[in-house]
Amino acid sequence: MRTPPFVAAALGCLSGILCASAVLAQVDLSGNWVLVSTQSGREHATGPYPGDFSGIPLNVQGRQAGWAYSGDERQELYRQCEPWSVSYIVTGPWGGRFTAERDHYGHVIAWHLSSQAYDRLPMTIWMDGRAQPPPQALHTYDGFTTGHWEGNTLVTHTTHLKDSFLERNGAPASSQETVNLFWTRHDDELSVLGVMRDPVYLEAPWPVTQTFRLTTAGSADIVPEYCEDAEIVQGVSDGYHSATVLPDQLPAAQHYMQQHYNIPLEASQGGAATMYPEFSKRLAKTYKTPTNYCTQYCCTGRDAEKFCKNSNN
Amino acid sequence: MRACARSLERVGNATAWRRPGAALAVACLGAWLLAPAVVRAQGRALTAGAAAAAKSPSAREQAPYDLTGYWTSVITQNWQYRMVVPGPGEYADLPINAKAKQLADAFRASADTAAGKQCEAYGAAALMRLPEHLHIHWQDADVLRVDTDAGMQTRLLHFRPAAAHAAPEASWQGWSAAKWVLANAGGAAAGAAGAANAPPVRYGSLQVITDHLLPGLLRKNGVPYSAETKLTEWWDLRVEPEGDQWLTITSTVVDPQYLQAPLIYDSIFQKLPDDSKWAPAPCSLIS
Repeated sequence: MRTPPFVAAALGCLSGILCASAVLAQVDLSGNWVLVSTQSGREHATGPYPGDFSGIPLNVQGRQAGWAYSGDERQELYRQCEPWSVSYIVTGPWGGRFTAERDHYGHVIAWHLSSQAYDRLPMTIWMDGRAQPPPQALHTYDGFTTGHWEGNTLVTHTTHLKDSFLERNGAPASSQETVNLFWTRHDDELSVLGVMRDPVYLEAPWPVTQTFRLTTAGSADIVPEYCEDAEIVQGVSDGYHSATVLPDQLPAAQHYMQQHYNIPLEASQGGAATMYPEFSKRLAKTYKTPTNYCTQYCCTGRDAEKFCKNSNN
Repeated sequence: MRACARSLERVGNATAWRRPGAALAVACLGAWLLAPAVVRAQGRALTAGAAAAAKSPSAREQAPYDLTGYWTSVITQNWQYRMVVPGPGEYADLPINAKAKQLADAFRASADTAAGKQCEAYGAAALMRLPEHLHIHWQDADVLRVDTDAGMQTRLLHFRPAAAHAAPEASWQGWSAAKWVLANAGGAAAGAAGAANAPPVRYGSLQVITDHLLPGLLRKNGVPYSAETKLTEWWDLRVEPEGDQWLTITSTVVDPQYLQAPLIYDSIFQKLPDDSKWAPAPCSLIS
């Protein structure tokens, strides 16, 4: 039987709407996203202070591993180009570019988050419902990530990570770490919540947030950077061996926050309790606000250096 | 989708244009061409759609998820500026201008305490950053009430149109206009087989815009914000497969008087099973 053309056209329109709605059901993340959050600006830029694990739910093992870290390890030739782990998306200074990989029908089968810096690997988020690989499969710094949409939020789950760090001051992360990320788009802003879990080094989930903004500026903060494993920081490492830190010779880093900010060791050593308001009340009984005027990393914003020098320091 | 693809493949043959399936293919092609543009505009479209829908059902009925209950703040970022009162001159991460810095340098907590201004550090622009617990409940069908134990403050999030109130007086918590920005269920859930009888899964965000604020402090060491401050917040509920519920609030503080650029920060709250941790405490500038 021959189908009248107008019927075919109507069916076509209906089909077209259905085709379109399948696509509309997903928020488009494509484009360049730059970090806009002003919180933790110094921590994102230079990394947290040495030995400052406050607000990180480290267990005893995690604390010991964190204190033993001196930074020298990163100067060894074979580790100079070692990237940070997936949680660096919410703790690091970089944005990235989202691109979609589609099948013949236009379905997104994966989102790719590029990295402009050598210290974070590109991340692939599989959206096609594929299963997690077996536990003994290869572990990498970008891990294995699957995702699905919940309204305007992309929910991703990452496993198969290598031993790495939660923060650049040595807060450790094991190969058993998992990362849940919630990417929620609000107009041109992307609010990201990362929740890290690690049965080896953490005694509770560690939630951290970050906010990015879509930019049309092209390569604003998407400049490729390549690592060359030749730079040796003199006096820190000879490039082949890291300094040995014995348990009874833990570095002065563990007292850094006490010495500079009056924040006691019970806070800077981290632990789940340090994340909650009850800890603030407990600390208030002994904590004394420093009386000396700030001397480093005091200001943020345009002309910050000049800005700070204009007054008391 | 498969029908679309098959039709599009057939169009490759020139004679196929005379066949009925060609119309289907043309329509599909149109949909394919239009879809990306619509998708790009989706963020704004969601906002507009929610505004239109808010006229009939109440905000409580329209809520895509339940925020009511008790929550605890989880301080994992900017710890040294939030869990303790930072020392003088500690202004990192606040894009303040020279005037703000001058005022902050001259700030004395004892003087403001003596003047009865302790709650200036508990205004809406900074309240959600404090270590605290929240009690969220509906005051009525269109007003979501947020009580804090820190400083014993109350924020009222009004879902009724702004015209319903007449020139509110400035206060620590100001006037907050709220709306749900609803989203559909997402690619995988939309049209899922067997879901016809199931209640629709709803998602979305809560947008809150606050103004009519009294001048206050962004940080307890004296960093000020002015009465011209406007606060925009996105409240999102994130539920993990592991069972944890997180409320994240992404805040943008714009203050033409004291900030060089918008201050953008997030606050994280974790759902509590009950009120056992609720511990009201008065405002304080020294702890």
